[in-house]
Amino acid sequence: MSMQTDASLAPPPANDPALPRHRQLGLSDEQVLAALAGMQRVRNVDDRLWQLSRQGKAHFVITSAGHEAAQFGCAWAIRAGHDYSVPYYRDMALALALGQTSLDLLLHGMGKPTDPASGGRQMFGHFSSRALRIVSGSSSVGSHIVHAVGLALAFRITGEQDIAAITFFGEGATSEGAWHEGMTIAGVQQLPVVFVCENNGYAISVPAHREVPVRDVATKAAGYGMPGVIVDGTDIFAVYAAARTAMQRARSGEGPTLIECKLHRLRPHSNADDHSKYRPAAELTALAQHDPIDKLRDYAMQHGLLNVERWQAMQQQLKAEVDAATLAADQVPNPPLESLYDHLYGSAAEA
Amino acid sequence: MPERTFLEAIRSALIDEMTTDQRVFVLGQDVGVKGGVFLVTDGLYQQFGACRVIDMPIAEAGIVGAAIGAALHGLRPVAEIQFADYIQPAVDQIINEAAKLRYRSAGDWTCPIVVRAPFGSGIHGALYHSQSTEALFTSTPGLKVVIPATPYDAKGLLIAAIRDPDPVVFFEHKQLYRTMRGEVPDGCYTVPLGTAAVRRTGRQISLFTYGLMLHHSLTAAEQVADEGIDVEVVDLRTLYPLDRETILASVRNTSKALIVHEDNLTGGIGGEISALISEHAFEYLDAPVRRLASPDVPATAFNEALEAHFMLNADKIAHALRELAAY
Ligand SMILES: Cc1ncc(C[n+]2csc(CCOP(=O)(O)OP(=O)(O)O)c2C)c(N)n1
Ligand SMILES: [Mg+2]
Repeated sequence: MSMQTDASLAPPPANDPALPRHRQLGLSDEQVLAALAGMQRVRNVDDRLWQLSRQGKAHFVITSAGHEAAQFGCAWAIRAGHDYSVPYYRDMALALALGQTSLDLLLHGMGKPTDPASGGRQMFGHFSSRALRIVSGSSSVGSHIVHAVGLALAFRITGEQDIAAITFFGEGATSEGAWHEGMTIAGVQQLPVVFVCENNGYAISVPAHREVPVRDVATKAAGYGMPGVIVDGTDIFAVYAAARTAMQRARSGEGPTLIECKLHRLRPHSNADDHSKYRPAAELTALAQHDPIDKLRDYAMQHGLLNVERWQAMQQQLKAEVDAATLAADQVPNPPLESLYDHLYGSAAEA
Repeated sequence: MPERTFLEAIRSALIDEMTTDQRVFVLGQDVGVKGGVFLVTDGLYQQFGACRVIDMPIAEAGIVGAAIGAALHGLRPVAEIQFADYIQPAVDQIINEAAKLRYRSAGDWTCPIVVRAPFGSGIHGALYHSQSTEALFTSTPGLKVVIPATPYDAKGLLIAAIRDPDPVVFFEHKQLYRTMRGEVPDGCYTVPLGTAAVRRTGRQISLFTYGLMLHHSLTAAEQVADEGIDVEVVDLRTLYPLDRETILASVRNTSKALIVHEDNLTGGIGGEISALISEHAFEYLDAPVRRLASPDVPATAFNEALEAHFMLNADKIAHALRELAAY
């Protein structure tokens, strides 16, 4: 059932420094353009959700703007439906990169019964699909790390090889007790699991230096017996290179890795937040320079993968797509009220 | 007397008590520059500084554990848990540590901390920003569990909780924060812990409730009053330990009891009150004790129709009152 999103299944990388970076990594032009389109698609959904929240049609928005390259870069190293992904609420781009659609995300955001993540039960940001092996999570920060560790433990018990679990979290989550417990178990057992920290410098309003006692989250890895790697999380190729190495290490029994992606949260934490209250004005102005979509678009243009006309056409098509998805999602009626009681327990037949 | 919202009343309690007592300080996630995600602590950081209004990492066990440690040295910490749903990582610290410190040291050590947390549904918070988690704590001797329903009580009870010599878990219904206004005096005053308040006197049915549900219950009582059903509404205010005298005195007068809470039916405080009444006022009863509570599902759903279906409201309470009156 593997959905071939894994770029590492492509021809082996040609390590020729004369080649553009994506080529060096074994990525085709099409793959780069597909990622760029995907990142823009997610951004459009993000934009749309903020709009819908002002119209009272989506009650909660948690942005992935600024995190797209980190999530798409990792997705290239994940075989969706084979490897397990254990995401957190910031990972809309990851969900889309692994195979969910704009419509899926909008159904989720609008709390519709056909929301594939939760049937309209969870607030937006709780991406899930058993088919894609995207594990359902709670909103409790840091509580999901241990699930990725348990999945990796299961691979060890069943003797499955060439499979890994990968989990995602913010730098703020690395303060939670459960995070440290997960890292400890993974390190002690040297399990096939990859930890990806999307370090955007803030836990809601609290700046990283008030939540993480070291400058780089990656240095924490040493205390758990695993390597820690720092990458520019706005550079999709740097992220992919690190994620691919880490996933290969995990799959081949060499143990866990902690990857820290340094990046920027381009928008407030959620639609309930006003980040101008705690982020300096100069920092807010400078955010525009850290947009990973701009960065990949510029790269694609520089290397002749894209020109202005094609980019504009792509944007128009994506805009039409999000409009259509919004319309479709909006038309889905509310669920029957009795469905509130569904799915609390399974039936004996299931066992 | 100045009018304040429920939220402003809590802020005013913190400011007045921190001004009066240098031992009092606040710690929690985003409580500093941002002023808390609901803005309860807005302005405190500017007024009292980073030393007494402390932004903490996302580590609930650490927040409550550190509060306990500071209390051991004589300080009066007020820890904020951002949402009651996230108190779970701190449960070990609250139940195994804070609640038992005095008892396990034969009174040598004490633990005068307050743990504040917003709870309750109705703001589209879905499974993890809506829970009522009070029942986790209402069977733990050594703890006190307080849930105010009015701005006046919110301030008076919070100051009483800070001054109390033992650990208090203080839940604030987030729907009340901005919708509920009332007269709240300037300066410090206390409302005693462990005492319920009769908010409406009546002769036929005693309705026991707390938090947001008090207001829906009062509305419901008015609705059925026109139909000749006379309801006494009791605001429990402290859920542990319960004010047994007020509860029993009321039901001995009215002979019928309805308990209303947003927490799940099973395991909610309603079961305890029902048992209390059957044990001590059985011979006064004219009807079985009734409970009206949220359904036994994990929490409210995000979908707004399901959320509305999940939530109790004045109509549902009035319906239960009519049924009980007709018994
Ligand atoms: C256990 C728990 N405590 C508190 C919260 C409230 N909360 C939600 S997101 C968040 C900040 C998380 O920051 P970080 O881990 O850096 O991730 P980011 O949002 O920056 O991507 C907090 C405190 C929560 N959801 N769960
Ligand atoms: Mg962060």
